[in-house]
Amino acid sequence: MSEEKKVHNPIKIDPEVCVKCNLCDWICPGDLIYKKEDDRTTLPDVKYPDECWYCGLCQSICPVDAIEIIFPEEMINCKTDVRSLLGKDVE
Amino acid sequence: MSWTELETDVLVIGGGVAGCMAAVPALESGLQVTILEKGKVLDHCGSVGCGVDHYLTIMDSGPEWDTPEFLIKHVPELTDGIVDLEVTSKLIHQMPRVLKKIESFGVNFKDPRFNDYYRLKSFGLPGTYHINFDGTEFKKHIGQQVRKLKGKVLTRTMGVHLLEKDNKVYGAVAFNFRTGEWYAIKAKSVVMAAGEVNRLSKNASGMPFDSWHCPFNTGDAHRMAFDAGAILTNMEFVETTLTPKGFSAQGLNALVSEGAHFVNKQGERFMFKYDEKGENARRAVIADAVINEYLLGNGPIYADCRHLPSDVLDHMEATLQIDRYTMPAFYEQKALKFRDEPVEVSISELSIRRSGVYFRGSGLAVDTEGHSSKENLFAAGDCASVSGGIAGAAVLGHISGEGVSAHVKKMNGSKLPEFDADEISRIKNENEHHLVASGLNWRAFEDKTREIVSDYIGVRRSSKSLELAMQTLASLANEESEMKADDLHGLMRVNETKSIRLSAEVMANAAMARTESRTGSSHFRSDFPETNETDWKKFVLVSKNEEQMNINYSDASESLASVFDRGK
Repeated sequence: MSEEKKVHNPIKIDPEVCVKCNLCDWICPGDLIYKKEDDRTTLPDVKYPDECWYCGLCQSICPVDAIEIIFPEEMINCKTDVRSLLGKDVE
Repeated sequence: MSWTELETDVLVIGGGVAGCMAAVPALESGLQVTILEKGKVLDHCGSVGCGVDHYLTIMDSGPEWDTPEFLIKHVPELTDGIVDLEVTSKLIHQMPRVLKKIESFGVNFKDPRFNDYYRLKSFGLPGTYHINFDGTEFKKHIGQQVRKLKGKVLTRTMGVHLLEKDNKVYGAVAFNFRTGEWYAIKAKSVVMAAGEVNRLSKNASGMPFDSWHCPFNTGDAHRMAFDAGAILTNMEFVETTLTPKGFSAQGLNALVSEGAHFVNKQGERFMFKYDEKGENARRAVIADAVINEYLLGNGPIYADCRHLPSDVLDHMEATLQIDRYTMPAFYEQKALKFRDEPVEVSISELSIRRSGVYFRGSGLAVDTEGHSSKENLFAAGDCASVSGGIAGAAVLGHISGEGVSAHVKKMNGSKLPEFDADEISRIKNENEHHLVASGLNWRAFEDKTREIVSDYIGVRRSSKSLELAMQTLASLANEESEMKADDLHGLMRVNETKSIRLSAEVMANAAMARTESRTGSSHFRSDFPETNETDWKKFVLVSKNEEQMNINYSDASESLASVFDRGK
């Protein structure tokens, strides 16, 4: 991904709190979070942040509340004109 | 040989509610069942990811409205006459039985406030059919039942191709996108339960994975079935819903069933202009009304809860996170208090699902056993021609599970074909080519599909716009083989992207064929703005014939199965 730097990371994992248990990796329905199995030294890696559904399952299952979901500006403060979603007139 | 060969009685593609509920009766009848699931766990619903807060069911609790006969009588008006009444009737009759069965798995549908079922009315249904409950653990219990009965689950594994010989399906090709292991799986029958088609059009946030329903449900069942020659129906109808602007999430049912009002920028409560039921109209009607208000220049549109009593608001607030766990965080980060101020709403992106009405599903045409037009291929859930949310998935899933069990037992040990190694190699090589290809990244490819769908096949269509869409989508298909994946995860997305494009092309063709408008913005043709009851009480059927899209029609007063020509 060439634009990786610009991608908003919605899944904020507190490295001090995380117990490196794999549950977030297991529960993510989109295969976004990668965590080395059976290894209590490595943190989970949010590998595909732009594919997040904002479902929060990772946050809900985290046994130590190490995860926070952060919504980006385009969701929180959405400026899109809804009419732009309603199709083009090609008559 | 560079793939693993497996054999099972029943292969289920998709481990959501429909897939698991299909697996259960097959396992109970002693058959071997293998489920392919893109996720790692079976604990959550395929379509909504989190839990469930509403479950539509008949309970035979006494009043006439709570009987199957009463609801069945209203199905034609709920679906504008385009529905397979035979399959729907069976589904509705089976609702009480399947509800009890799910309760026996440990799901508690009762509201602890009353120690009783708390039932609400919504979406134009003629009775208070929805049980409102804390279904956070709903799917977990169903998934556990599959594990308990020793169903085999291949997780993080995506089916990409159905195997068939002599017009009969006998298995599928799949791969694990974490390990890269490929599978050829032989099965006496296959149940498709891979859900609807999402990531199909643009939405307010502009983020493709911000979608109302699961963005990882991408029409994989539709593509595999279409490629195998199965009939798809109702593909012209699209579904959209209302969401808080910027976050395409579930929650409309909770809003309307608890009594929220929709108001336009003038503060006018406009829903009664569109339907005598007001905010209790069908989802398709609500969405269409909001689209119209925006087109009339009456936007922004708001959902207003301020008039509701505090106990109702308390309940809404307490249950806000059941359907979408992050909804409270969204409101909090937006600094918006829905109790005290109106919430600006948008229409969501589009899905090919069940077009905002209950019981009219878009996908594989199935009969009363869940059997599709293709021998040995079954379907259930949001990829089948009869669908009805979570309950529809559960009940049709169970029907298909019983149907496939009886079918497999009737096959009575008949020998399955040998694997066709050339075919499996071809599928695997075509896939692996994406890992070295130099064409468009799948994201850019998918953006093109979304743009075409939003602009030309979306909520306002005409023959000119559809012609343009059909041409552009067909030419996009020519670039498909060169689509680029960065890794195995990307290869999964490439397959999803192909399914989305194909589904959009099927939708454009079906929408072109239906020269009328029906069910508001689910299918609005600006060149044929009227509903034509004389000529169009018909299903549009799309199937593949010699690499072409073949369009046929069948009378909606007859079941879809009347046109099936299985195994010939």
